[in-house]
Amino acid sequence: MAEQKPEDELRIGVYICHCGSNIAGVIDPAEVAEWATHLPGVVRATDTLYACADSGQTLIKEDIKKYNLNRVVVSACSVRMHETTFRAAVAEAGLNPFLMEMANIREQCTWAHGHDKEGALKKAKDLTASAIAKARFLNPLTMIKVPVTKRAMVIGGGVAGISAALDLADQGIETILVEKEPTIGGVMAQLNKTFPTMDCSI
Amino acid sequence: MVDAARHPKIDVRTFTNVERVEGYVGNFKVQLREKARHVLADRCNGCGECSKVCPIEVPNYFEMNLAPRKAAYVAMSQSVPLRYTIDENACIHCYKCVDACGALEAIDFSQEDKLIWEDIGSIVVATGFNHFDPSVIPEYGYSRYPNVITAMEMERLNNSAGPTTGNLIRPSDQKNPQRLAIINCVGSRDKRFNPWCSNFCCMYAIKNAVLLKQMNPTLEISIYYMDIRTPSKGYEEFYDRARGMGIRFIQGRPSLITEDPQTKNLFIHSEDITLGKISELEYDMVMLNQAAVPQPDVDSVSSVLNITQSPGGWFMEYHPKLRPVDSPTDGIFLAGACQGLKDIPSSVSSGLATASRAGRILHSDEWEIEPIIAQVWEDRCVMADGKICGVCARACPYGAIIIEEGKAASVTVAKCHGCGGCVAECPHNAITQMHFTDAQVFSQMRALLAENPQEKIFAFRCHWCSYGGADLAGTSHFDYSANERGIRVMCSARMDPDFIYEAFRLGAGAVLYSGCHPQDCHYITGQKVGATRADRLQKLFEKLEMTPGRFRIEWISAAEGDKYSRVINEMQKVIDAIPHEQLMTEIERLKPEMEKRARRMYETPGMDKAVTYSDAMVKAINTKEVKNGA
Ligand SMILES: Cc1cc2nc3c(=O)[nH]c(=O)nc-3n(C[C@H](O)[C@H](O)[C@H](O)COP(=O)(O)OP(=O)(O)OC[C@H]3O[C@@H](n4cnc5c(N)ncnc54)[C@H](O)[C@@H]3O)c2cc1C
Ligand code: SF4
Ligand code: SF4
Ligand code: SF4
Repeated sequence: MAEQKPEDELRIGVYICHCGSNIAGVIDPAEVAEWATHLPGVVRATDTLYACADSGQTLIKEDIKKYNLNRVVVSACSVRMHETTFRAAVAEAGLNPFLMEMANIREQCTWAHGHDKEGALKKAKDLTASAIAKARFLNPLTMIKVPVTKRAMVIGGGVAGISAALDLADQGIETILVEKEPTIGGVMAQLNKTFPTMDCSI
Repeated sequence: MVDAARHPKIDVRTFTNVERVEGYVGNFKVQLREKARHVLADRCNGCGECSKVCPIEVPNYFEMNLAPRKAAYVAMSQSVPLRYTIDENACIHCYKCVDACGALEAIDFSQEDKLIWEDIGSIVVATGFNHFDPSVIPEYGYSRYPNVITAMEMERLNNSAGPTTGNLIRPSDQKNPQRLAIINCVGSRDKRFNPWCSNFCCMYAIKNAVLLKQMNPTLEISIYYMDIRTPSKGYEEFYDRARGMGIRFIQGRPSLITEDPQTKNLFIHSEDITLGKISELEYDMVMLNQAAVPQPDVDSVSSVLNITQSPGGWFMEYHPKLRPVDSPTDGIFLAGACQGLKDIPSSVSSGLATASRAGRILHSDEWEIEPIIAQVWEDRCVMADGKICGVCARACPYGAIIIEEGKAASVTVAKCHGCGGCVAECPHNAITQMHFTDAQVFSQMRALLAENPQEKIFAFRCHWCSYGGADLAGTSHFDYSANERGIRVMCSARMDPDFIYEAFRLGAGAVLYSGCHPQDCHYITGQKVGATRADRLQKLFEKLEMTPGRFRIEWISAAEGDKYSRVINEMQKVIDAIPHEQLMTEIERLKPEMEKRARRMYETPGMDKAVTYSDAMVKAINTKEVKNGA
């Protein structure tokens, strides 16, 4: 495991996204950012209109250089939405992509607690603090490279599977098309003429 | 179809099932079962002599059982490949076919199922859909009234390659009908059966009406509908054309079909919403547009491939907007109706999209996977001291941990998928997981429970399912208590007992332990490891007389946003129902026990720093809040 940098060198940048009104319509991102500046290790905290947009990503990348950041926290949407986006952004600025942590203050905060703005604000602060705390202990990691067997398998020989298999094969990839019935074709082969072209289905 | 069979790069394996899938992106191993056809592929030339002499007839599934086939058969004359099959269940072993085949010697009754392993880089799942059986709807009389047929039966009857060579006849008397009714949404958009819209029935209702009207302009056709859904390009115009041809559209869902026992004619009782009247009209024949439903074997396909399902039984995509053809498992993609109902143009589009997504991987020499794997602290593993353990290896769903006497356990990097089960199971805290270390999770917990912990519902969620469920609760705006504070780990297998003790030690009001349903687990049996442990914890807390409901176990899929929201709200009620003093007393009473049980976590490397940092964090949070006066 890579060695952790000593705590006094810790330099965390924190970005609180408005996501237009998706987040900012319920809480004030600037207040969360101001609050975050007081947390240990944070050297820079600010709000941004759309963290994922070009302008947001550029801000993060420039800050990494300007403030010599070694950890980045983005309080925005779900990791399922944009974790890869922000990992790529910090990597472009020369930081190991695994030194970025997200707090989900949209799906799991403002969108779920529109009825309780005060509660949502408290939660957004806590989630941001939690991401900062995790960021403090993040380690630089390298992706594991695995070899690739250049063969595809398509399971199901209906019109969707046939289309996939033909296109893979046309790309030069050896493809196995597996069908459980004695013939391929699926439902389409059973149909009379088909809309929208009204031609024969086979 | 023929193009696929002819393509030099495509190997078509019909009459074949997928038995097992192992490995990971770029490196899957798939076991196929090639079912015995009793006909040798390289000898059969498709002449069909065997079928001619075969004395056995059984219904042909391909003709929706409207016509028979022999025990030696092809499903249809254009079968691809054109190769006969002997149906083992129907065959009486008269061997007439063997004689008929003669010198070709293509028939081989000794053939058995073959199991074959294939090395594969990427998989496309395109298993399609099935047809709802409308005989379970009593009011429509399907299977009781001969002249009530399904849309699939119509496709065969109105088909020049079908059993009647395209001559539409009434099953009761073989006469051509003069009055035909088509009923939409049969078993679809009906809470009793399937809540969803089946996507293509409106359009094929219109298609069949237009085709039949073109062939026989005097045929009267009425379509009963709730709404006509024609949103794709050119579809509304097609609907317009049908109306122009004199096809009658009646808005209403029929409540009952009755039959005249003499004529076998049918009476449809329905509201006509446009006219505001109840009608009872007579027809010669009725076609039911039965719902499209998931394949009957969808659960077993899910578990073989380790992919999850959305409500209803459609395979779930990684992200409905941004990654609609990716499954949550890297390297496995979803095409066509199995992911959600699609007509042919959309099924083709998604099929082509998967080829592009899989192509990204298959054109690369190497593929990168996330390094969030397990790692052993060799000096902490008791095996290194000659003791017997191996608990970690037993927890691992992938056999990724090597145990040798006298040596510390070691993790095979390429095999580890990063569930974290071994990490949480190790009784000596000798394993850690990259990116989800004890120090990281502990520091997050301290931050989240810094203020008024007794008010908080502390939720552990797995990445693939319950974190997704929480996302969906937000996306759907199913509001829930803002006192929830969540932590994400990859699998419920990683939810260390130490974390749960620590959450209670820190004074959390309630703790949720939540992951995927067992059949949805992204790590084969990771959930089982998590669930067994959760049950153990539950029993312990009962013994310690913790108020019931303060610790809760729930399995929540990424499709169950409503459930996530409901569970959190119920937990809020549990906390609200305990008088404040009583709750604080209970927390204090249990603290020493929790501290004792969580103590090992504090011994793990990095925890000293985590404690120091967290003390500073908690102090900062609390003083800042006072300054703000909030
Ligand atoms: C009555 C009716 C009329 C229709 N008319 C039209 C029309 O006119 N125009 C139009 O655009 N659409 C029409 N459709 C819709 C059309 O049928 C679907 O869009 C299309 O069939 C979807 O293709 P698919 O490949 O996803 O699935 P399918 O056609 O269902 O094919 C799936 C294939 O996978 C195989 N399979 C399943 N499970 C496994 C497994 N475990 N292992 C191996 N193989 C497996 C199946 O045997 C099958 O061959 C109609 C549908 C119906 C019901
Ligand atoms: S088995 Fe023989 S008779 Fe039957 S189709 Fe094949 S070659 Fe013809
Ligand atoms: S149990 Fe999970 S984390 Fe541990 S080695 Fe196996 S796959 Fe990896
Ligand atoms: S469970 Fe822990 S102590 Fe036991 S063998 Fe595995 S790593 Fe070593």
